[in-house]
Amino acid sequence: MTDSPSEADREDTAADPHAAFAERVASLVGADAWAAEHETVRVVVRRESWVDALRTARDEAGLEFFSWLSALDWSRDVAVGEPAADAEALEERFEVIARLSSVADASAAHFVATVPKDDPWIDSLVPVFAGAGWHEREAAEMFGIDFRGHPNLTKLYLPDSFEGHPLRKSYPLLSREVKPWPGMVDVEDMPSTDNVEADQA
Amino acid sequence: MTQLDPRVAMHLSDAAVSVELETPDMTLNIGPQHPSTHGVLRLVARVDGERVEAVEPVIGYMHRGYEKLAEVRTYAQTIALVNRIDWVSGFANEIPFVIAVEKLMDVEAPERAQYIRMILTEMARISSHLIFMSSYPLELGAATPLMHAFRERERILELIEGVTGGRFHPNFNRVGGVKPAAGGGSATKKLIQDLPAGFLQQARDAMDKVLTVCDDLDDLVTGNEVFQARTIGVGVVPRDKALEYGLSGPNLRASGVGFDLRKAEHILPYDGIDFEIPTGENGDCFDRYIVRLAEIRQAARIIQQAVDRIPSGPLQAKVPRVLKVPPGQAYVRAENPKGEMGYYIVSEGGRVPYRVKIRSASFSNLSILPWILENQLIPDLVAIMGSLDFVLGDVDR
Amino acid sequence: MNFWLLLVIKVVVILGVVLPAALVVIYIELKVPARMQSRIGPYFAGGKYGWAQPLADGLKFLQKEDLVPDAADSSVYKLAPYVVLMGTVGTFVIIPFGPDLVARDLDLGIFYLLAISSLSTLGVLMAGWSSGNKYSLIGGLRAAAQLIAYELPLVLAVVGVAIQAQTLSLNGIVDAQASWEWFGSSPEWLNIVPPYLILQIVGFVIFATASLAELSRIPFDMPIAESELTMGYLTEYSGLRFTMFFLGEYAGMVSLAAVASTLFLGGYWLPWVGDDVLNVLGPGVLLTKVLLLSFIFIWLRWTFPRLREDQLQTMAWKWLIPASLANILATGLLKVVF
Repeated sequence: MTDSPSEADREDTAADPHAAFAERVASLVGADAWAAEHETVRVVVRRESWVDALRTARDEAGLEFFSWLSALDWSRDVAVGEPAADAEALEERFEVIARLSSVADASAAHFVATVPKDDPWIDSLVPVFAGAGWHEREAAEMFGIDFRGHPNLTKLYLPDSFEGHPLRKSYPLLSREVKPWPGMVDVEDMPSTDNVEADQA
Repeated sequence: MTQLDPRVAMHLSDAAVSVELETPDMTLNIGPQHPSTHGVLRLVARVDGERVEAVEPVIGYMHRGYEKLAEVRTYAQTIALVNRIDWVSGFANEIPFVIAVEKLMDVEAPERAQYIRMILTEMARISSHLIFMSSYPLELGAATPLMHAFRERERILELIEGVTGGRFHPNFNRVGGVKPAAGGGSATKKLIQDLPAGFLQQARDAMDKVLTVCDDLDDLVTGNEVFQARTIGVGVVPRDKALEYGLSGPNLRASGVGFDLRKAEHILPYDGIDFEIPTGENGDCFDRYIVRLAEIRQAARIIQQAVDRIPSGPLQAKVPRVLKVPPGQAYVRAENPKGEMGYYIVSEGGRVPYRVKIRSASFSNLSILPWILENQLIPDLVAIMGSLDFVLGDVDR
Repeated sequence: MNFWLLLVIKVVVILGVVLPAALVVIYIELKVPARMQSRIGPYFAGGKYGWAQPLADGLKFLQKEDLVPDAADSSVYKLAPYVVLMGTVGTFVIIPFGPDLVARDLDLGIFYLLAISSLSTLGVLMAGWSSGNKYSLIGGLRAAAQLIAYELPLVLAVVGVAIQAQTLSLNGIVDAQASWEWFGSSPEWLNIVPPYLILQIVGFVIFATASLAELSRIPFDMPIAESELTMGYLTEYSGLRFTMFFLGEYAGMVSLAAVASTLFLGGYWLPWVGDDVLNVLGPGVLLTKVLLLSFIFIWLRWTFPRLREDQLQTMAWKWLIPASLANILATGLLKVVF
């Protein structure tokens, strides 16, 4: 889902505890928008206030468990897989997502910051959560995002000489270039159906 | 592996003796082929004699790029990928993924399927912890517990194989249930697939055996003075560090945090089951061991209760034959044997996910290594690393 | 008899006893833990019970390539395994298998024994240093540290026996145990329960512990420490040279068990029979005791994890050495009083 300005005022918050929690966290950290779909709380913060927002969430919302950090590439140029739903209208950007959760109850939130593609940087979370170090190194090599202030932003998984950022949507999957995946192209139709569907059985 | 010929190093230090005793640090490459790195982890350690001054883990030797691969596979195909992440508990890896897809599609598996999922997840937990019970004493030098633990693990794997057909990679979950009742590729001839005959009784018997081997392990390992001397007070992870580095599962609970997703969230019907969350007090290696041993017992309890109250009914909810997941985002996490395993699925309405972020427990559990191994002795390095119980497939994904 | 002929016969007999005994111990090492771990162990080699497995292993090692790493100091590297084996086989020179069945009954027997048994550790040091491998180097250093820490309690534990028997000759010690009289009047056959096992129990326990460390067996196998140092000083060895180390380890176990049997368990001695018969039965009696002690060593190995190097040092310096000193003091006092 893309961020839409109407996210904040979508439904009544009283019925859904996740929405209520999202609203509370969003007001605590001064978020731009929030959403709570499929029990997944999403709080959108500006990248300038990224570190402060997460520190506030840890100290004041009780979200002290650093679960993970990663990124999401919203791109019109999709080399493999399926494009986004309305690819034409899509705004090219990265979303950096960090998930914090509580260890007292099940409450948790995804903090999302939008990072423009022509200037992909965001401040490093390492001073707040030391455990973010590896996650940021992974996101940096996979998406090409610069985490400012990271003590050691070297490649984590990939060889040092590797070029490119594999998890970007524009990055081709070489094995697919050589040989298309049989599951996607030449599945034999089931006799009773009219469509490619053998994936399920 | 030699950067500086040890003989040269010795001569250098010999030469320095007359003026001033100088002991240059040595860089020791532990791994990627090393008995205690569980696969292909490499640690670059700067050692001063027996003392490790700093450690830089090098991972990625087994990076398979599952997050990218998932973007070009349909949801059903991805299930076969995800059970290869943490291969010692393959079944448990499938659970959060299928439930995330189910959530996005707004379907729910029938109750019997959920119970089967729960029983097999706990079996995967037992088998994973039994591997820890065998490999951890082995890393400290005791070889006998290995055989006892592996014997019972084999029983569990046979049960899992009986139900799913796979010992390690069950690929048994489907969106909306477990292996569908109608199969065989024909609409007229329906195969009824259910648990194999006698499975529930066999599971009961196996749990008795598992509880017995837990007692054996208590005798062999827990009370062993040398084992205690090697683990008590070694590798202490305080609560705040555990949370900061995202340690989860038994590693987190050993540090005194009584948080278990099986109690906190109910993606599987754990709410009707009576079990406890074992926690440690000091967060040392011994606590991490003892928490896992207690978890085996609790898992056996869960299975004993679950086989008694498993309802009958269908195994598969109605789902469209071509899985198209409505646009949306969902993150579902589950308490895996290694800790919190979660999948963040972003769907754009197609047959393949737009993005799948895999949160694997071992990755975060291992990221504490540079902090925790600083200024430890080489033998403690092995003891601490082993006590974190990681699987390289779960680290590298 | 011709001196040289006698020498050859003695060497052949000693090797003929030590090496088969080592093979038997290796076989026990294969079968006993199998039993402890509910396995079968070797089964097919030799037709029944896998009795030929140690031989088959030896044959296999012979066929392996003999590797010498580029970084190794090759002459030292090649010599090391033989030094290890020499140190252990050398102890058998003075071990009495019967009243007359001894290669050389030295008056300073114990002195010789302790001196030559530390030669093995020298071989280990040579191996660790010359391999040109960091793991081997650390393993060698650990072995050296272990030698210093454990040679002392080993020696001090034996001093108690020497005081008790008032001789340093091993034959003399066996005789002293055979003719020991409880309160001046007990019959000789009572000594079938070895008197020094009771009088020197502290010394025996210390000696056995220190022997384990000397042999670098679990719980004191830090120089090898498979899970930490891959194989320690053995990392680079292969083929025949590895076999020499392997054999050396088990021959060492046999030799230290033989020493312990002689010093604390009455050696070859049996009551009711004369010296002529003992010369025939003696080796069997001693070997039985050796295998019994080896079994205990093996039992410990498969039960315990390994200690840490600093814990070993603590144990040696803070517990074993003071305890053995106290043992010497007590033995001396009792000797003077009674």
